[in-house]
Amino acid sequence: MILLAEVIQLDWWDLCLSAGMVLVVGVLSLLLRLGIEKRLAVASVRTVVQLLLIGYVLMWVFRHHWSIAPLAVVMVLVAGYDAVKRSGRAFAGMYWLALLSLIASAFLTTIFVTGVIVSARPWYLPQYFVPLLGMVLGNSMTGISLCMDHLLEHLSARRAEVEVELALGATRWEAARQPLQQAVRRGLIPLINRMMVTGIVSLPGMMSGQILSGEDPNNAVRYQVMVMFMIAAATALGSISVALLVCRRLFNRRHQLRADLLTKRT
Amino acid sequence: MAKDDSSQPAEANGAVLSFAATVSAAPGVPLLRDVRIHLRAGRIVGVSGPSGCGKTTLLRGICGLVDADGAEVRLHGQTPDEHGWPVFRRKVVLLNQRPVLSEATVRENLARPFCYATAAGAFDENEAADLLDRLTVGRRRLDQDAHSLSVGQQQRVCLIRALLVRPDVLLMDEPTSALDADAVGAVEREIRRRAADGLACLLVSHDRAQVDRWCDRWIDLRPHMTEHARAAGEEGA
Repeated sequence: MILLAEVIQLDWWDLCLSAGMVLVVGVLSLLLRLGIEKRLAVASVRTVVQLLLIGYVLMWVFRHHWSIAPLAVVMVLVAGYDAVKRSGRAFAGMYWLALLSLIASAFLTTIFVTGVIVSARPWYLPQYFVPLLGMVLGNSMTGISLCMDHLLEHLSARRAEVEVELALGATRWEAARQPLQQAVRRGLIPLINRMMVTGIVSLPGMMSGQILSGEDPNNAVRYQVMVMFMIAAATALGSISVALLVCRRLFNRRHQLRADLLTKRT
Repeated sequence: MAKDDSSQPAEANGAVLSFAATVSAAPGVPLLRDVRIHLRAGRIVGVSGPSGCGKTTLLRGICGLVDADGAEVRLHGQTPDEHGWPVFRRKVVLLNQRPVLSEATVRENLARPFCYATAAGAFDENEAADLLDRLTVGRRRLDQDAHSLSVGQQQRVCLIRALLVRPDVLLMDEPTSALDADAVGAVEREIRRRAADGLACLLVSHDRAQVDRWCDRWIDLRPHMTEHARAAGEEGA
């Protein structure tokens, strides 16, 4: 690592000044009667408290490597819940399918990255493992959520089309192919769009962070490329796996579509 | 035409398809109790019963798109499990009342079943074109987007799609509900032709005159209706 310049440390006074910017927004909201000042205040306080807490947690984890296990478990459980909660349709057990896909995709890619590419020793070195797992989880979760939502919507709204295929002798996987393809595509599109414009429209957050904290931009770029590819792999794995698991659950051995298992959520 | 007392054991002999089950709308909501149907090659059997009594569910139960309670189904003496469900459904094709076609040309829609692993032969475009002509849709529609056709035309395209896979049994749910008199006549002639070639048919129709014209015998579902079916029928009426 080459330090280009001495990193300028932020002190508490700097943070108070930055809070001033939010305060200006709050005043504007009051003057223009936007009605967002309360939510803005709550959100600001939450940002501070949550980040302070995670800062302390990270410091603790960096010192006690064993504690990475419970931290990773909590991260995965929360991400799994988040992946299913926005879906317009639900069925019993969908959380577990999302969780399984999330665990498989996120841990496989993160361990490959920390263990083989970055070659951190040990592979669960928290400085690498925690932020990388966080990024992978966040993205894989979005992919799984979009994919599952789209798939369930297709299987209920366009049930007749799927059943016509079954009625004409398609196997369940033949009948599931089109919904499956479209759902996986839906899960991956936001990520591919982001990869298309990355570095042009905005600098990725991680790269900006590294550069701000004094990292050589070349190295920051290399890290960012690796992170993008890691996220792509995890999102694709997660989407494909959840789509396959959902189809396996909603089509039974008699090659029926069990659309009756789906309930609409409000 | 004879009203069918379908429990005659003699009819089980020589039946292409035999079906016995209780048909339910959902677990614990039986609609039709102890329905028995035997279909023989070349015969058209009609099914009648009030709206909402479960005729459509019955057809879906026969081809196994939904489970029927205690279902005993035999096609050529073998259960669907022995045939394999996709193979069974290719031989016992369901024709929905409401036409369902995907957003593609008529040709692609008609060729679709020949992409499946259960497909026996290849898509025969000449046969498809001839059928489009005979059913007064016209072969020039082959390249047209299926969704741009009228509902009546779509209904006939669905019938053609079903006939092209050469099933042994055709389950028809109000197959002419969206057709004018000329088209009904064309469909009727085609179904009779297929029956003469050995196709076994089950026809659900509200039109008593049609059932009289088409069918060799008919099954009255009223004695099989449960209280749920009667309640559903009153709601529908």
